[in-house]
Amino acid sequence: MDDQERADAFYAHVMGGGKVEADDWMPDDYRAAVLKFVEMHANSELMGVLPEREWILRAPTLKRKLALTSKVQDEVGHAQLLYRVAEDLGKPREQMLADLMAGKTKFHNVFHYPTRSWGDVGIIAWLVDAAAIVSQQALRDSSYAPYARTMKKICWEESVHIMHGRDVVLTLMNGTSHQHEMVQEALDRWWGPLMQMHGPPTEPATDRDLIWKIKSKGNEQLRQEFLGIYVPRIRELGLTVPDKELRYDEVEGRWHYTEPDWAELRNVVTGHGPMSQERLEFRRTNHAATQWVRDAVLGAPSAAA
Amino acid sequence: MSENAPELSGPTRDALAQLLLGIADDEFVIGFWDSEWTGIAPMLEEDVATSSISQDEIGHARALYEMLAGLTGQDADEIAFGRQPDAYRHAALMNHARTDWAFTIARRYLYETADTVRLEALARSSYEPLAQLTGKMRREERYHLMHLDTWLRRLAADADANSRLSSALRSLWADALAIFSPVPGEDVLVRGGELPEPMDSLRARWLEQVLPVLTDLGLPGPTPEVLAAGTQDGRTRRTDDFRWLHGEFTMVAASERGATW
Amino acid sequence: MSDGSPPHDRVWEVFRQEAEGDPMIHSGNVRAPDEELAMHYAREFYGRRQESNRLWVVARDAITELDDPDLLKPPFDRSFKRPGGYLIKHKLEAAKARAGAAASGEGHE
Repeated sequence: MDDQERADAFYAHVMGGGKVEADDWMPDDYRAAVLKFVEMHANSELMGVLPEREWILRAPTLKRKLALTSKVQDEVGHAQLLYRVAEDLGKPREQMLADLMAGKTKFHNVFHYPTRSWGDVGIIAWLVDAAAIVSQQALRDSSYAPYARTMKKICWEESVHIMHGRDVVLTLMNGTSHQHEMVQEALDRWWGPLMQMHGPPTEPATDRDLIWKIKSKGNEQLRQEFLGIYVPRIRELGLTVPDKELRYDEVEGRWHYTEPDWAELRNVVTGHGPMSQERLEFRRTNHAATQWVRDAVLGAPSAAA
Repeated sequence: MSENAPELSGPTRDALAQLLLGIADDEFVIGFWDSEWTGIAPMLEEDVATSSISQDEIGHARALYEMLAGLTGQDADEIAFGRQPDAYRHAALMNHARTDWAFTIARRYLYETADTVRLEALARSSYEPLAQLTGKMRREERYHLMHLDTWLRRLAADADANSRLSSALRSLWADALAIFSPVPGEDVLVRGGELPEPMDSLRARWLEQVLPVLTDLGLPGPTPEVLAAGTQDGRTRRTDDFRWLHGEFTMVAASERGATW
Repeated sequence: MSDGSPPHDRVWEVFRQEAEGDPMIHSGNVRAPDEELAMHYAREFYGRRQESNRLWVVARDAITELDDPDLLKPPFDRSFKRPGGYLIKHKLEAAKARAGAAASGEGHE
């Protein structure tokens, strides 16, 4: 069987719902596509730590301090799980970290924005994690089995975060007028990035991640799912979603909304978001400051990253 | 909690409150400093481990503040978040910022080994709730000690890491001894058995245990000058680093007193 | 490990047991320089939420994998090795029918 025949058989296998393991033969295109997908996911978990990390020190009660530290710890854990999946596809962890810090690879838009108050902590833990879990649930059946298995573990762990986030928001909404304003103000700032988070609609016929079943749902479908579950839950608390066009069309069976700013999304994920450079610099500084530890305990790498 | 607490005389209750406050503040402050490593520790796997340990410390602090709240009629969060910096009673060892990994491991090693001696004594306390709580804490602390011992040995075995660790230890010894600073009203507690041994005696045992280990690894113990210096203000002196931390951890709570978070 | 990775770092596979008596199930893997730290990290990733009763940590290179279909899914019939390979329904019906006819023909003992 030559490579072309092997590739054809491989694609027939995955498109028919078949699974792939780390040491199976795979065409270079498939390997590259999965690696890119998983690497961006891993990068996002790692960068996602930074906006919330600031609030670990500022958490206002013992219970919130524990919950928030635990949540951020979980995100680091998710980064580990995903970098391991990516590494087993052939790219060393050190190389992925170096590429992230050099701005060569991307991470999700939401982690390029600043946090301004405790209200952000609730909104991020509730709604950003919710949008992420909508994507992640759809990945539990990925053709690339190690990724699918990791998604199952991650989804289980994320469900705790959403409960924590919702609890924080509910507590604030049951609190003082200052606390309500804090939540509404945070929602006003985060709604735009949330709507952009799943990405612009893609063409199913040319979306290779969909065709090869690396992912099972398109971007627009994920966004619709998110809106369907969470808009009612946001509104029932007395919060206003800052989009006058947002409404559900019973006839079409879909949500209408103001077109997200796709130019902003492109700009942000290519490193021009409000916090992109500062956060990457923070990572670089901390990584350099702890290099001596890795050298002492793991041995200095012989090849430069 | 206060309904089930054994009856205590006024002086005993006051002295016990001071003792508990010191230990709770130790756990609270070290837990806070080390939680800063979340997301930026040297390796991803180690990041998760360090975060667990700092969460354990906050959990222990919470239990101790709750016990204290039972004695004084306050609320645990009020005690934890509601004081001015000068009213905190942690040992001077916890005044220092997180700094770097060598510093963190050095401080943690000194703290955990001292805490082990302290907890072992308190597990024999005549105050039953404290004996039980410290029994539980000791089980979690076993993992901390295992983990720290692992790191201490690894760093000590590398020339560069050893020198960083040694430097950190040298700068920390004086403040580490403050863990065993005398507690106001200590003699009342020793007579009543709530504190089975005086702090001096615990300090001596700690040094006996820890110095041979450090010497074996080529790491420094306290100098004679440091040993001779007193630690009377070991639990009352504060630094700008701690004031900064206090500002951070009270920021949200202080933004609206009395609000529920 | 491929180029660029620290020389002493290795991958360790983690198996966990959910409850007493359950089988050990493969759950993931960690990187660590040796067995001692691998155990600490396995505890963190697969035990910090009190979700496991027991963990096994095994260096990845200690594992031998078999996935050869000629060995695991060979082509000849092997149904005699599985319960589903014995279809007794019709035979049982026939035997019961025969036993019933014999009993009614001879009367009760």
